Amino acid sequence: MIWKFLLGLYMAIITALAFVIPIGFIPGLGERARIIFLHVPSAWLSVIAFFVAMLYAIRYLKSKNIYEDVKSVASAEIGFLFCFVTTVTGSIWAKFNWGSFWNWDPRETSIFVLLLIYGAYFVLRSAIEVEERRATLSAVYSIIAFITVPFFIFIMPRIMPGLHPGSKGDPEGAGPVVTFKMDPNMRVLFFASLLGFILVYLWMFKLRSRVEILKIKIQNKIYQEV
Amino acid sequence: MSVYEFLEKNSIYLVLIIALIVWLSVFAYLVKVDAKLKKLENEFAKIENKEEIEK
Repeated sequence: MIWKFLLGLYMAIITALAFVIPIGFIPGLGERARIIFLHVPSAWLSVIAFFVAMLYAIRYLKSKNIYEDVKSVASAEIGFLFCFVTTVTGSIWAKFNWGSFWNWDPRETSIFVLLLIYGAYFVLRSAIEVEERRATLSAVYSIIAFITVPFFIFIMPRIMPGLHPGSKGDPEGAGPVVTFKMDPNMRVLFFASLLGFILVYLWMFKLRSRVEILKIKIQNKIYQEV
Repeated sequence: MSVYEFLEKNSIYLVLIIALIVWLSVFAYLVKVDAKLKKLENEFAKIENKEEIEK
């Protein structure tokens, strides 16, 4: 239990530092660059979560163990949540940096498509009632869906011209995130924040899986008794 | 300078306070769910053990 409270404290310190540490001057971004400590780790984390969802999907297809399917869905759900957080924080940032909440920048379009792809994953799951069939189909879907993730997060927004830092034709070079030409303070805090996000993800993933596994166990118990 | 005036001139600290409240709420929720889940898992394990002994 103690590590959970340490994590709570660690993330609280990271949150506080994100607003107060000096980050140097970044042309075109200024103080608005502080979003990097929340927005970018949550985007990377959604990639990690979708990757873990794919790994458990492969494990399910190999073993046909329903617990692997439960873990795959748990990770996809958290990935979707973080993807949504990335979209919302990015949209708020866009309002102050570009003047409007949404303007179909390649980066915005790609994350929107990604949300649709994983939204369809949950729709697919809810449409099939037979447990084994649902698990098998959604595992296959999860594997195919992950193939698109690196393309939509890392490749497409960087080969197309756009307003987002790191796009092709970015007036500041490749942008502070892509080249890691960040202020040393900023770099340390960014990776510390990423580590904190990963730990929070692991905790959430474990909780979500345990809830679903317990649910299955209780259902089986009731079924056996009836 | 009153606290209100300070926050008016340094609105970033107001955002910092809101961000901290958001994180602490999420954290408190996670801790609560974790504790409840542990309790339920223990109860379920007890029932299972009891049945095994009866067998």
